[in-house]
Amino acid sequence: MKDLKNAGRYYAHYFKKYRLGFLVASLMIAFSTWCIVVAPTYLGEAVKELTSYLQLWGNPATRATANFDAFHRTLIIYILLYVGDASTIFIASLIFARISAFATGTMRIGLFRKMQRMRVQYFDRHSDGDILARYTSDLDNIFNAMNQALLEVFLAVAQFVGILIMMFRENTTLAWVTMASTPIALIVAAFVMKKAGTTVDRQQDDIGRLNGYINEQITGQKVIITNGLQQDSVRGFQGYNETVRKSALSGQIWSGILNPLMQGMSLLNLAIVIFVGSWLALSGTMSQGAALALVVVFVNYASQYYQPIISLTSLYGMIQLAITGARRIDEVRSQPDETRPVNGKDLTGIDHDLVLDDVHFSYLPGKEILHGVSLQVAKGEMVALVGPTGSGKTTVMNLLNRFYDVDSGAILFDGTDVREFDLTALRAHVGIVLQDPQLFTGTIADNIRYGDPEASMARVIDAAKQANIHEFIESLPEGYETTVSDEQSVFSAGQKQLMSIARTILTDPQLLILDEATSNVDTVTEAKIQAAMDNVIAGRTSFVIAHRLKTILNADKIIVLKDGTIIEEGSHDALLKENGFYAELYHNQMVFE
Amino acid sequence: MKVLVPYLKRYRKDGVFATLSVLVLVFATLWQPRLLQVVMEAILKNDKHAVLVNGIWLLVLAAVGIVAGILNTVYSARVALGVATDLRADLYAKVQTLAYADIEKFSASNLVVRMTNDINQVQQIVMAFFQQVTRIPLLFLGAFALALTTMPEQWWVIIAMMVIIIGVSLVAFRRMGKYFAQTQMDIEKVNTLARENLMGIRVVKSFVQEPTEIKKFSAASDRLTDVTARIGYLFAVLMPAFFMTANLAIGVSVFLVGQSITVHPTYLAAITSFISYLNQILFAVINGGFMLTFASRALVSLGRLREVFDTQPSMAYPTTGEVADLPGDITFDHVTFTYPGDAAPTLKDVSFSVKAGQMVGIVGATGSGKTTLAQLIARLYDPDTGTVRIGGVDVRDLPEKTIRNTVAYVLQRSTLFSGTIAGNLKQVQPSATLPRMQWAAGIAQAAEFIDLLPDAYDAPVEERSANFSGGQKQRLSITRGVIADPEILILDDATSALDARSEKLVQEALDRELTSTTVVCIAEKISSILRADEILVLDDGALVGVGTHHELVRNNPVYQEIYATQKAREEGI
Repeated sequence: MKDLKNAGRYYAHYFKKYRLGFLVASLMIAFSTWCIVVAPTYLGEAVKELTSYLQLWGNPATRATANFDAFHRTLIIYILLYVGDASTIFIASLIFARISAFATGTMRIGLFRKMQRMRVQYFDRHSDGDILARYTSDLDNIFNAMNQALLEVFLAVAQFVGILIMMFRENTTLAWVTMASTPIALIVAAFVMKKAGTTVDRQQDDIGRLNGYINEQITGQKVIITNGLQQDSVRGFQGYNETVRKSALSGQIWSGILNPLMQGMSLLNLAIVIFVGSWLALSGTMSQGAALALVVVFVNYASQYYQPIISLTSLYGMIQLAITGARRIDEVRSQPDETRPVNGKDLTGIDHDLVLDDVHFSYLPGKEILHGVSLQVAKGEMVALVGPTGSGKTTVMNLLNRFYDVDSGAILFDGTDVREFDLTALRAHVGIVLQDPQLFTGTIADNIRYGDPEASMARVIDAAKQANIHEFIESLPEGYETTVSDEQSVFSAGQKQLMSIARTILTDPQLLILDEATSNVDTVTEAKIQAAMDNVIAGRTSFVIAHRLKTILNADKIIVLKDGTIIEEGSHDALLKENGFYAELYHNQMVFE
Repeated sequence: MKVLVPYLKRYRKDGVFATLSVLVLVFATLWQPRLLQVVMEAILKNDKHAVLVNGIWLLVLAAVGIVAGILNTVYSARVALGVATDLRADLYAKVQTLAYADIEKFSASNLVVRMTNDINQVQQIVMAFFQQVTRIPLLFLGAFALALTTMPEQWWVIIAMMVIIIGVSLVAFRRMGKYFAQTQMDIEKVNTLARENLMGIRVVKSFVQEPTEIKKFSAASDRLTDVTARIGYLFAVLMPAFFMTANLAIGVSVFLVGQSITVHPTYLAAITSFISYLNQILFAVINGGFMLTFASRALVSLGRLREVFDTQPSMAYPTTGEVADLPGDITFDHVTFTYPGDAAPTLKDVSFSVKAGQMVGIVGATGSGKTTLAQLIARLYDPDTGTVRIGGVDVRDLPEKTIRNTVAYVLQRSTLFSGTIAGNLKQVQPSATLPRMQWAAGIAQAAEFIDLLPDAYDAPVEERSANFSGGQKQRLSITRGVIADPEILILDDATSALDARSEKLVQEALDRELTSTTVVCIAEKISSILRADEILVLDDGALVGVGTHHELVRNNPVYQEIYATQKAREEGI
């Protein structure tokens, strides 16, 4: 119920803009419904006219007066009514098609904008797949529901009301007869839908597990083959497969019988109406023509009466998905944005120093990661952060350009708290090179000038040269115009890091944060990365999460972090003399003979 | 389609029942307007008895329709799920017979899609086939025939209606095909942008490119919006056009009935049923169109399934021959190997031999062929020319079981299967006892953290072994590798996430516990292979050096270059 209310609010928000469209479409639908429900009476009328024509014609005395005028008149009205129906439905469909497409577009762009404003924390806590599903499956479900259900729902409701009105105006008794089976149909539908809901859920769970198994096994096929586990794998698969057979069977049956059941109920109802109607017509005082016309009219009504109910029940699943989709997108919309200071100070450069002053930080409340980290870095110094996994190295990096904010304490550039700077200005001056850098679909040149799309080709090439990747790029058939994407890359992991360095060099940042790549780089590329790093670090204030000894040796200052506290600080020689944690770490790496 | 036939045959009985129930359903649907007509005539004749009898028949017919509808769903679902489940089982079993090269050719994710999405498509079309496909032509033909017997003179009204509807659909669908292709491209573009921005959110933010990205995304999104709206407009024309055509046809028929009413007075009662038949024809045509597009998608899926079934495993093992225990000698005799689809060979005329119980190190730059060489030992691929021998026997002459029992392969990207630690170990050695597992874990230096887990060896392994760190995963992988005491153990950069101390301990334990095992160790770090009895140096697929560390440092330029970049670590002392 809460979901329904939220979904209501969600859609109201996006539909507000289309108020006029909804109004016009509603009027169109009301008119078309009027046409549809009125039309059968004219058909009945036409039959009546024909009957009386036949009677007049059959009697030689009145044969001369028999004419088709009345018949033709009613028939023309009948046809005009359907022309009216078709054209109004056409207009309403156009409006709804437009609303569905454009409202989904607004939602999609809104979601993307929101994503760009949200805190990094959200992305760290949610899986990419889950967030991406908002674009792929949730928005898709919403569009499909709008596209198919909007018109249907409006039509169904209007038709239902229209037919009720017409039936009662025509003949109260027959109207009640037509409606008599409705409660039974609704109870049956509710029961079947509930069953379908639970069985389909179970089916989806089982299919999910089966797919998970297949995915895990086939992706690990090398292990299966090298261990000769093929038969085991097939045996394991059969268990999941048979479970799916059973649960999917009941899922398919329960969700499949709703339609035949409701269609059947409709036929049954029609039979009841015909039966009772003809009986009433014969037992009553009506003329034959009138009785026949009444039956014809009600046959029409009865077959139309169930259509709205059938279409609403068949749309149920789709609407359910759209409600879930709205909930999931709304969840993202309600996330907090990054905090930006009002009238933030402009940052032009770091002239003196950078200070971390008793910084405490926790990702989750109560689980503090940094316990009072303080350090001072003078302009132009290079700091190497060293420490075991989980010591808080990356966390320090996350605070410098405000991916996260400190719990207490402060980070100061030339004495000004980073939170007081304009966020855009701050980030423009803090460059970052990540361990696993993301490349974007586009040319290599576009990727290098990512931070400054206006940069000239000369600057792009210069950056690539400094990053030691120019030669490789030139060796590609299309050079700088080679298209890359993150999935389909011409670059190895090491070369990607070089690209990332080039990208950062181009923006000429005041403060540099560098997360060294650790794995999967052969030693030749490693040497290139080292040289590129030296180039980018030169003359800049920089923080490096260092894994390589050479980087550490070059540092002006080594900070050893362990469990969120700085335990040692100083130059390489000084730290070795201390013979503490760093010395041990160092000697451990030095198994080399 | 041929792929499906044997499976359909298996569920012949259900299929027959599904078809029979559909026939009953069609009969009930078609007969109702006819009965209605009889009732109307009875009213005209004031025949209460006939009204009563035929009215009861109407009720019976409707009830029969409901029962037939339910039965049809049940039997169709049984056929559909039977076919889909069996098909999936056979497909999976088939994939398990394929060689690794075949799997790579399809790519793992592609095979997964075939086993999930494509099978699902087939299941849906089979279900729809038994529910709809027999029904639509029958309903169409039935309604057409009955409409003709009701008012034979009006055959041309029906034909005209159909010609208009089919003509309009053809024109519309041609346009729509173009739009659908466009939509698919636009959707992909939008999703790619969303995914890139998700994964690279830190890059976007740190380069302050939010506005640029929003602009790019909005442009792509607007194109998608535009084309979906166009499709919507086309559909907006289509449906009302269909219904108006049908209603015009009804109007024309009623008019014609009026013109000839004195000749055919009974037509008065037939109008309603004729209208019903016209409507049924309309629905049959529309549904038929939908089914056709639906079926064409399923045919594509079936084709993709057949492709897998038709793939012959590119590698065959001799089925005769004893499963024997071989000594762990390895010989490469002028081995050249090219990956399928590559132009240049990855291994070029490689020859060497290793005695059982030795430790061999393989070094070289990325792409120099280290992993490829190791994979040939495990017979994941066969060489183009030359021979790989284990224990003196060409691996191509060994039964699969012999190779698997002799060679254990530990990958750098360690894959554990979800379940428990013990479950993963027992897959390799079903008889493994707890002490045996502790022994193996001890060698791999995994015992220290396994013992700390609350459930120890029964601790769960999550999907993608997400509950273990990289180093722990590698140590578990090594545990699995050594548990069966293989004659040959390949460590393919399998200690890359281990710290130097643990790596040393693993090597010492291997030396101590697996004395007769040949250890093939691929490494990026020279420190990992310092102790090797023999080091193979690969450069661009060629074997350019064999010897101990001391020898190679002295006389092998490639080795010297690799060593030089790593030696830097020492200089700081």
